[in-house]
Amino acid sequence: MIEAHTLTKRYGAKTAVDAISFTARPGLVTGFLGPNGAGKSTTMRMIVGLDRPSGGSVTVNGKPYAEHRAPRHQVGALLDAKAVHAGRSARNHLLAIAATHRIGTKRVDEVIGMTGLESVARKRVGGFSLGMGQRLGLAVALLGDPATLILDEPVNGLDPEGVAWVRVFLRSLAAEGRTVFLSSHLMSEMAQTADHIIVLGRGRVVADAPVGDILARAAGDTVRVRSPEVVRLTALLEAEGGAMTSAEPDLLSVSGLAARRIAELAAGAGIPVYELTPVAGSLEDAYMALTRSEVEYQTTQTRAEENR
Amino acid sequence: MSSTAIKVFTPSGHNLGFGGILWSEWVKLRSVRSTWWLYGMLVAVTVGLGALMSSSHGYDIAELEPEGVQALGVFATTVSTDFTALIVSVLAVLFMAGEYGLGMIGTTLTSVPKRMPALLGKALVFAVATFAVSTVAVVIAIPLSVAALSGTGIDIDLGDPFYWRAQLGVVVYLVLIGLMAFAIGAILRSTAGGIAVVLGILLAAPIAFGLLTLGSSQMWIQNLQSLLPTELGEVLFSHPGRWELIAPGAPMEPPPAGLWAFEPWQAGLLLLAWVIVLLAVAATLLKRRDVWHRPGRGGAVLPSVIIALASTLSRGQGVELFTDRSLTGKGVKIWRNRGEATVSSAEQS
Repeated sequence: MIEAHTLTKRYGAKTAVDAISFTARPGLVTGFLGPNGAGKSTTMRMIVGLDRPSGGSVTVNGKPYAEHRAPRHQVGALLDAKAVHAGRSARNHLLAIAATHRIGTKRVDEVIGMTGLESVARKRVGGFSLGMGQRLGLAVALLGDPATLILDEPVNGLDPEGVAWVRVFLRSLAAEGRTVFLSSHLMSEMAQTADHIIVLGRGRVVADAPVGDILARAAGDTVRVRSPEVVRLTALLEAEGGAMTSAEPDLLSVSGLAARRIAELAAGAGIPVYELTPVAGSLEDAYMALTRSEVEYQTTQTRAEENR
Repeated sequence: MSSTAIKVFTPSGHNLGFGGILWSEWVKLRSVRSTWWLYGMLVAVTVGLGALMSSSHGYDIAELEPEGVQALGVFATTVSTDFTALIVSVLAVLFMAGEYGLGMIGTTLTSVPKRMPALLGKALVFAVATFAVSTVAVVIAIPLSVAALSGTGIDIDLGDPFYWRAQLGVVVYLVLIGLMAFAIGAILRSTAGGIAVVLGILLAAPIAFGLLTLGSSQMWIQNLQSLLPTELGEVLFSHPGRWELIAPGAPMEPPPAGLWAFEPWQAGLLLLAWVIVLLAVAATLLKRRDVWHRPGRGGAVLPSVIIALASTLSRGQGVELFTDRSLTGKGVKIWRNRGEATVSSAEQS
């Protein structure tokens, strides 16, 4: 369980994380989405106490991370797969971390096996590929058999097989009653892995909902309408509550109205329609829409603050 | 939340403990090659240079008092210390600042989120390992040196406590210099910057002070100079007969009033003060700073200034001035050691 309350991080005048509050619950895979620079990594670093919040608080399994007596058993974190010493072998890297909590060599070899690192375990980490580094990072996170996993872009650099393995594995960990909190920029990946999604844009939570809700919000939301009488049609649909964008002179993207309703309205007004296509929105679209609106919101918000 | 019962995973296992932290740091220290290379060099240089200096036939001991002979024995085994101190410092910086190279520190501090035990455990492991390795080096060097000197007709009295005090002084000096470099590495979080600053303190600062004392006979500059780690080290592993070795038969004069002359134990405590102050700064910064917040350009300014200074000084004029300085430096040291020699000869009579 991760609970953030008005968590804030400022670097000088820049606010990286702006008073966000959210909860990641045990038994669920919680996805943390956002474009680069949205504050995902900063938030994760604050959760495990590597960065000090400028305001607000965050607890893991009921306590601030540093207050836990066995932090590695409470939380397994993969924040930066390169957080290693290039000259040390993967196994020694794991042994050194394991030693702090008196985790035995048996468990070390176990996580090496789980992450498929057997063949390179005694090689120097400096020569690892991105994918192998990522597997080592996962091995480190799993070392303490923790109740909560915090993973920053865990599938970054993994081959398709590795991605599929991580997806199944994270789901099984959540099924055991663990809290799994992962960030990703791969929306489609998140749709398959996460139960719950928190979308971060410009340091603020723009959406916090079950994955189904976010997908539903995206699906079938727009209808593509091609007609020679765009101006009349626009006026008509706007009067009925539709919102229009136009990409080509004879093409409208209509949201807020179902395809059937548009067809009825056009027929009623005698407007010819060549094409009427409901567009199934993807998670990407939903995400883009969410973060785009957040950017706009942010701008007006800032302006409002400046005018005060 | 829904009312359906949710299974919550309960973790089990040992708590984080200081013993575990020490073991972890030990694994880290022994699992990189640079540790073995540098400790190997430390032993090789101490033993090799000690044996080399001891087997030289160039010593004329005919006019030396027995004290001077003992000082010669100490000189032969401790002459390598200026260099081994550099080896230990480089290793210390690599061990500590190396954590920041790729970001290992983040992994270290998620294991030990309170941070202080990680820093102290690391320092302690480094201190113990360096103590052990330097002790081994000295223990191998002494019999070789004594045998080699005896081969050239110089017999060292092993019943002389000052001989052993000086040898212990070497070990203490290496451990404390190592810890100082460790703290500097922790403050600067960069191996290059850390090594530059340490070289500045061990190599450039003595030259700079040499220039200052050359240009001015102000007592306070000399006193300030005597607080340099290298100067404190020389006192720490000096033998009271050293002035007799440098200037045989020179008449004894009390040191000028106001000039600081430290006993070895005082020098040891002053060096320890360096370590404690720097470690305290390192600890405060570690506690306050965000772990992955990279040092900005400001962090590189100081090391570059020191490198520039050191390279300017070691080029051209600097070398000549350095040579001059070592002469004047000796003059000062004869005074300092004279005070000590007076005490020790009074004790012996």
